[in-house]
Amino acid sequence: MARRTESTTALGDRLSPFQKLYLWLIAGFILGPFIPLIVQSFAFRWAWPDLLPSTWWLEQREESIVPLAWDYVFSPYSQVWEATVNTVFIGCVVTVICLIICLPAARVLARESFRGKAAFEFFLSMPLIVPEAAIGIALLMIFIYVGLAGTYTGIIIVHLIPTIPYMIRMLTAVYQGLGRDFEEQAMILGASRWQVLRLVTLPMLLPGVIAGALFTFLVSTNIFLLTFFMGQGKIITLPTLLFSKISGGTLDASAAGITLVVTLPGIILLLITERFIKEEAFGKGFGN
Amino acid sequence: MASRKTNELVRMRKERWLVMMQLLPVMLVLVLLFGGALVLGVAQSLGFAPWFGVNTFPDLTYFKALWGEPSFWRSLWLTLYYAIAATVISLVLGILVALALVRRFRSKTLYKYLYKLPLMIPYTVGIALAVIMLGNGGMISRFMEFVGLIDDPSQFPQILKTHMGWGIIAVYVWKQTPFVALTIYAVLLGVGRETEEAAAILGANKRQVFFLVTLPQIMPGIISSTLIIFAFNIGAFEAPFILGGGFPDTLPVVAWRYFNDADYTLQLQGMATVVSIALMASGILYSYLAIYRRYERRIGRH
Repeated sequence: MARRTESTTALGDRLSPFQKLYLWLIAGFILGPFIPLIVQSFAFRWAWPDLLPSTWWLEQREESIVPLAWDYVFSPYSQVWEATVNTVFIGCVVTVICLIICLPAARVLARESFRGKAAFEFFLSMPLIVPEAAIGIALLMIFIYVGLAGTYTGIIIVHLIPTIPYMIRMLTAVYQGLGRDFEEQAMILGASRWQVLRLVTLPMLLPGVIAGALFTFLVSTNIFLLTFFMGQGKIITLPTLLFSKISGGTLDASAAGITLVVTLPGIILLLITERFIKEEAFGKGFGN
Repeated sequence: MASRKTNELVRMRKERWLVMMQLLPVMLVLVLLFGGALVLGVAQSLGFAPWFGVNTFPDLTYFKALWGEPSFWRSLWLTLYYAIAATVISLVLGILVALALVRRFRSKTLYKYLYKLPLMIPYTVGIALAVIMLGNGGMISRFMEFVGLIDDPSQFPQILKTHMGWGIIAVYVWKQTPFVALTIYAVLLGVGRETEEAAAILGANKRQVFFLVTLPQIMPGIISSTLIIFAFNIGAFEAPFILGGGFPDTLPVVAWRYFNDADYTLQLQGMATVVSIALMASGILYSYLAIYRRYERRIGRH
């Protein structure tokens, strides 16, 4: 017994100093670059090699005729508001459609076994492993031909491709954890199929459904390439707006401000999803 | 007896029909979009484009023209190089993060928020961060001046817009390390630490515990996360477009340029590029999975 406790502590439950340093470095790598980004968004003049701007936005904003930095970001010229509305709208519609078509499939995948199930599951994860550029350009040809390019419908349809695999996996994991005892009991007690769905299955599924929906929304809001191809410059979302601001390879104060605005929904979603999406559930979706 | 059997059969058929009906919506969407893209892409790259007045199907000239150019092979190499380098680096960094995350430490809750941030935001944000950090006038360049290593921006080693692609790789790694970490961490939570502890009790050292116990356990997570990020990196467009070194570009950028060329017959060559990307990606992913199957069989799993 003594030996056992000794070995357990020998394996180590706490971080080694090296790991501590490593986690700090990774945190610095992930978050560090945001500091100069925030500074840049408030800068008016920031010449090389100054470590801080020599003139700030607030000192200049009264003297300039055109809106500067954050004034520009919040002005209609920047199209930030339009892009935000588009992003949220597309994300919501995609999430709802994805949920509707994935729920029945996930139920079947979690509970029934049928011929060709493995092949079907592989087929469902195809969108994750087929390069986006390949699908995007080929679909764009079709969409131009049928007149869906540059429309909301077109963008919403292509957003289904990368979101379906995530939604299916998360919902299947939820159904697997659910078990069918409660449903069977309700049926024995005389509930109809519809009643079972409404009164038993859905309430029990709800946390998982919320997690899947949030994740789908997140994936949709982050899609750049498919939106860029299908939007044809007519419909802008936050990622494509940012792309157009930085595609020259430079970053001025207003572009830095827009970058921060584009980051904001991610931070909000992070705070929400951390409560709903547990690592364990995510693992069920991707660990195998 | 016979009627009972028929009843059973009818019930089974009805059930199978129900299963099919529930799978149908998702299948329809994917088959239409995927199948449509696949069929049209392949047909067009083989010379079927009646809407441009081109119809020489089947015709290999577009592939021949594309594959005959040396720049295509340089593009292919660049695409592969960025994708593989970024995938390997993210994998190693991500596994190390996951191994640290299963330990207990102060402010773990906070850290679990922080490291996931890149997962939540678009790649374009990562590109903006790369510009502000790694550009010639960027923060690292300024710090090098501050400590006296350089005294002109032009002396700063070019990181962005070169074919070494450090900027592109940095963006991919920044975005994908958290993804690998999250996937592996989830798998580690799922398997628990009992087998590791058992191995340690039986006298395995840290190294042996990792390579003989932990690594095989997290293998499925490693495989699925590398498949996903590698495929993404092959088809990524925005980072190589903004941070790449210009001609020769990576294949998705090449395809896009062909596609937007004023000479619309080049679109067929663009489609040949797209088909080449898909062929290459599926070839690599397929052999990767095949090797993994053999490994699984060797360690006695299937």
